[in-house]
Parts: sequence; structure tokens; C-alpha cells
Amino acid sequence: MSSVLAPEIPTPGFSFDLCERNAMLERKGFSAPKAQKTGTTIVGIIYKDGVILGADTRATEGNIVADKKSEKIHYLAKNMYCCGAGTAADTCMTNSMISSQLELHRLNTNRIVPVVTACTMLKQLLFRHQGHISAALIVGGVDNLGPHIYVIYPHGSTDHLPYATMGSGSLAAMSVFESRWKPDMSEEEGKALVSDAIRAGIFNDLGSGNSVDLCIIRKGSLDYLCPYELSCVKGEKQGSYRYKKGTTAVLTKTVRPIIVEEECVRRVETECMDTSS
Amino acid sequence: MSLIQDYIPRNLPDYATQAPKQFQFNPYADNGGSVVALAGDDFSLIAADTRLSTGYSIYSRKQEKLFKLSDTTVLGCSGCWCDILTLTRVISARMQIYQHEHHKTMTTSATAQMLSTMLYYKRFFPYYVSNILAGLDNDGKGCIYRYDPVGHCEKNTYVAGGSAGALLQPLLDNQVGYLNQENVEKIPLTKDKALSVVKDVFISAAERDIYTGDGITIKIITKDGITEEKFDLRRD
Amino acid sequence: MFLTRSEYDRGVNTFSPEGRLFQVEYAMEAIKLGWTAIGICTSEGVVLAVEKRTTSFLMEPTMVEKIVEVDKHIGCVSSGLMADSRTMIDRARVECQNHWFTYNEKMSVESTIQAVSNLAIQFGDSDNDGSAMSRPFGVALLFAGIDEKGPQLFHMDPSGTFVQFDAKAIGSGSEGAQQSLQEVYHKSMTLKEATKAALKILKQVMEEKLNDTNIEVMSMTPETKFHIFTKEELQEVIGNLPESRDVSLKSRSNISRPSIRTSVSVKS
Repeated sequence: MSSVLAPEIPTPGFSFDLCERNAMLERKGFSAPKAQKTGTTIVGIIYKDGVILGADTRATEGNIVADKKSEKIHYLAKNMYCCGAGTAADTCMTNSMISSQLELHRLNTNRIVPVVTACTMLKQLLFRHQGHISAALIVGGVDNLGPHIYVIYPHGSTDHLPYATMGSGSLAAMSVFESRWKPDMSEEEGKALVSDAIRAGIFNDLGSGNSVDLCIIRKGSLDYLCPYELSCVKGEKQGSYRYKKGTTAVLTKTVRPIIVEEECVRRVETECMDTSS
Repeated sequence: MSLIQDYIPRNLPDYATQAPKQFQFNPYADNGGSVVALAGDDFSLIAADTRLSTGYSIYSRKQEKLFKLSDTTVLGCSGCWCDILTLTRVISARMQIYQHEHHKTMTTSATAQMLSTMLYYKRFFPYYVSNILAGLDNDGKGCIYRYDPVGHCEKNTYVAGGSAGALLQPLLDNQVGYLNQENVEKIPLTKDKALSVVKDVFISAAERDIYTGDGITIKIITKDGITEEKFDLRRD
Repeated sequence: MFLTRSEYDRGVNTFSPEGRLFQVEYAMEAIKLGWTAIGICTSEGVVLAVEKRTTSFLMEPTMVEKIVEVDKHIGCVSSGLMADSRTMIDRARVECQNHWFTYNEKMSVESTIQAVSNLAIQFGDSDNDGSAMSRPFGVALLFAGIDEKGPQLFHMDPSGTFVQFDAKAIGSGSEGAQQSLQEVYHKSMTLKEATKAALKILKQVMEEKLNDTNIEVMSMTPETKFHIFTKEELQEVIGNLPESRDVSLKSRSNISRPSIRTSVSVKS
């Protein structure tokens, strides 16, 4: 019970007070605005010298392509990146929140943050919110223990794998990995495999498309290739769609003459350039 | 709290209430697809993309969605593919019966009216199909008819329908209908202009509509017959 | 024709050993008792003319409607049992409207009469949908109409057989009238000439003196569509008819007229 002496402590985290109201409104026919979903293909593999993360760049809103150049490989720390699938806002905010905590952690501990730390922080956050944060993530990075790929599901479960896929195109991408992934691949082989997996998602999954992004993390170095490759080019327009001057209708026209109330001429003497310093 | 009430049925079956629960059978699928049709003075042109899809998956990259009904009539369909299959077969059968009964081929306008009554006949269990009928009228002039799934029929000269219909119609309004343009010479639509416009609008549709892509088939209907052209679109 | 009276004329679904359906043949006889109707088809249009018998001078002649509109572009005249013709014309009208509803176009004359023919041969078919007639219709019909093929005239008998004609007469005076039509008709006839010829022949075969109340005339051109002549128009055409005293046709047609004629006419 709250009193002046012991005020009620507000519960931390998201407020779900309006969930019931929203559910009621939806039952009565109100359609809530849709969030931008990244119906996505994201992948990650471990290769000889580190990890390679890959993602497509399409963000959809229902059947409409909302963003053709959506960046889905997010920065977590210098030695780790994270691919996100699900609601764009959730993946974005989750990653930047954890990224700042990882940076604080690095400053506190003064050493390279292990990838498993990021994974644990993310899974705790996601579990706390019971799947309401729809972020499906692949964390990839290299720490003192070597390269790691972690998959994190929106409800907070995780996997530690040598190769992983996520998003609506995950099945298409996984089919590529299952047939061609092998341990200790070279970087060129790895890049080709990852981009093939993303391309499988791009072409066979309608929620994925446009171009391939790659991020290669090695011990101490990193390549962030956005875009790595354009999978599809836009068709060439046949006609010209330039309008002639005067095409736009003029609805009203008001002319406001500038009234010169006062004229004042001030002479400025030419100054020499300051060359002293 | 509200959280529990909302999510008990899924997560905590022990807390589920005994209230009646409605289950529904949804007999329809949306297999996407877009159709565009343009009519000129002596021709009409109809184009449809060739992607057949459901949800985020592609069933086919080369599915014809244009159905030649007679030498002067072509029907373009998009929506629930199984309904399209049945509807087009029933139309063909009805046209064949008409031919036998009346010793003549159905005109475009007769086909248009018949389609409308066929659709309305299933008013309360409709064919989930967006239809666009293109052809030549009795004077050889191009004409287009568009439908809603329950049989509303409207005669037009340019129409876009299907999943990217809402994206393309304003573009056609502007480019073919010369709407919202001042001091512009309204040139009657030529076959070449129609072809280039139809390809361009599909290029644009494939950019933003996930259910439109892979390629298009264009059928051009003139008094000399129907010619066909194909054109590739992006496949992602 | 009816020398071999037998039990075979009791049902409509049994052929006689000679291969005849007597009830259908009897139905054709019923037409010969009916009023005379004439139709002539020209390149300009088509005309129908029919006599209106009144069995009593107390009867209101304008109530007798012999030529009816099936659709704007199709007219029909019948001879025989009037009530039966109503059923068939109803069918024709429904088919025409249904065709317009479904296809948004005029039903062709041939298709219309085909639809009526389908009804005419349904007699005795009662196990089919239960509503068919138990006997053949006792009417002959003349369908006059204009469609994309131009003006056309069709004749249908109780067996459901229909044939296209340039000129055709049905009813009690049909034999003589058909003879006269054959003499008068030529391909380049104008509609006016045809109307005049139809009335001239009707006048010859009618018992009563032809006047503006005991006949009905309909003409149809692509422009005017279905048009029943007004009294004034009738008077004009009648006035132009030559006075003829030829009664030979009339007497010929009267020979075979049996006494039940009045009872048939009362039904009209």
C-alpha cells in the first residue's frame, strides 16, 4: 500500500497498462498502425580466422517494401557485431542499448569484452520482456577465446553454433549452409558461402531482397562491407517522366510587392587580408 | 493484471477461462499478382506479372495470369489462385455453351456482363479474384472492364489491379489519364506508348510490392488478333 | 389421316406402330381452328397481321390482344389456344430478359424461338421436374424480330419445330393465305407493300368484313422496333386496299371448319 512514508515504487521496464485497452480497440475493429518488420535473411558463420555475418537490406511493411537499404548488421563493440531480424525498432534499440552497456563494461573491466557477455545481456533483456521485444538476433564476434556465433530468439533462448541463420529467409539460407559449410574455410570461401546464403534468401523469400551486406570480424581487424553485392538491379525505364514547366496547377496567386521604406547606403572600406599568423 | 489476462491462453493454460472461443476456417488464399490494362482507339493491351506466391514464399516465377477467352477478349486475374482456376474454366465453358446456343462468339461486352453476373451469383461466398477484362468492343475500339470480387463492373480505358493496384493506379491516372497536369497535350494512347508505360509501371511495382516480380506477359489485342510479349522483372 | 383410330392417341409418350404421335398431330389440327395470322419479312422490316374475332358484339374488342411484344426487338403472334400461347410467350419474355441480364445484349430471334421450342417439346416430360405440360401446346407461333442478322420471321408448330420464313400464314385461313402469299411475295418488297399485301390477304380469308377493330397489325423496323398500328394507321392502310369481291378463298377455308370452332374462340 502506498503512503506518504512509503510511496509505491513504480515497476521497472515496459508498461503494459494499455495492452488491454488496445486489445479491446482491435476487437472492435480499430486497426493499430503496423510496425516495420524486417522480414529478413540474416546469417553468420565461423571460418578459419574469425566470423562472417551477412544480411539482406529489405525492410517490409505488410506487402510493401518500406526500405531498400536497411542496415541490419548492427555495431555492438569493436570485436562484435549483431544481425537483427524482427521489428526494425526493436532490433535497432536493443542493439544500441546493449552496445552502450558493453562499452561501459569494457571501460570497467579494461579488457576485450567476451562475446558470451553480449549474448547473456541480450538474452536477459529479451527474456525479461517475454517475447514482446520481437528481435531475433545473430551475434558474431571474436574474443580471447576465439570466434563465436550466438543466435538469440525473441523469447530469450540462445544457441552457440558454428553457422546460423535467422529471419523469414532462414530456411533458404540454411539449405546453403547445410550443403556447403565446413570447418576452417578460407575467407574467400566464407564470403562466397555467406553471400550465397543471403542470395538464397533474397531470391526465395519475399521478405528479403535488394542487396547483400557482409561483416567480417577477425582477431583485431574488421571489414564492414555495405553493400557487399547488389543481387538485383532495377529495370531500365523506357519512357521519360519529366514534366514540362507549367504542368503543376497554380491554385492561387498572391503578389506581395516589397515596399522600400528606407534606403540606406553604408560604405565599407576595403580591408587588407590578415596575413599575420 | 492486464498482461496476464491477455496472454494466459497462450502461455499458461491453467489460467485459461472457459469462455467460448471462436474458431474460423479461412477458405481463401492470397496468391498475389498484379494486372494492368490499357485501351486505345484500335487496340487494347493487358499485362500481368508472372509471380505466384503465398506469404513470403514463391510458388512459381512463370505463372500466366492472362486468359484468352476469344479472339477479341482477354481476362487478367489475380488473387486466390484456386478461385481463378475455377472461375476461368467456368467462363470458358459458359462461352462455349453460348457459342453453341446462339451460333456466334461472345462479344467483349457480353463477356463483361456475364462475368459480372457470375461473380454476383456467388455474392455470399465470393470468388476471391480481382478481374480485369480487356478487349475490343463491337466497333473495334479498345475497352477495359474492371471488377470487384462480388461483381461490380466498371468500364474504363486504363486500369491497374491486384496486389500493386493501389500503387499503380495513380501513376496511370497521371501518365495515361493526364490527371493533375495543366497545359498538357492529351495525346490519344498509341500502342508504343502503352507498351512503354506498362513496362515502366511494372518495373516500379516490382521495386516496392513484394508480390509483384519475376516477369510480365503482355497481350496486345487488335482486330488482326492477339500478340504476346514478355518482359523480365527483378526476381528478389 | 385419322383412318386408323386406335388407342395410340391417348398418350403423348407412345408412338403408333406407323411411327406417329397422334396427340401432336391433333394439336396441329387445333391451330386450324384458330384465327388467321400472317407475317411477312422484308429487307426493311417485318410485319405481322392478325384477325381479331369477337364472339359477341358485347365483347370489348380492344381487350383482345393477339400480337404481343416479347422484347423491344421481337414480336409474336399466335394461333390456336390462346392460353397456351400465353405460357410460351411468358417463356420467351423471360428468356429475352435473362439473356439481356446475363450478357447485356439483345437476344437473337432464333435463340428466342429455340428457347420456346425447348418448352414446347417438354410435354409428357413430367418426371423431369414435375412442372411440364401433360399435352402438347395447341398453338402455332409467328415470331417477328430484328437482330444483328436483320429482320427475320420464324414459324413454330406444336411439335416445337421451327422454320424461318419470308412470309407465313397460320390459323384457319392459312392454306388459302399461304397460297396468296406465295403469289404476292418478292424479295424487294417494301414494308409498306408487305403491310398492304398482308391486309389484302387477311381481308380475303376473313369471314367478317375487315375493319379497324377486328384486325391487329404490328410492324417493326430497326428504328421503330415493336410498333402496333393505331386505329388511324389501320384506317389509312384499309382505305388504300382495293375493294375486292373475291370470296373463293373464304369459302375454301370454311369447308373444313367444324362446329367446335366457337368453343375455341371463346377461350381467346
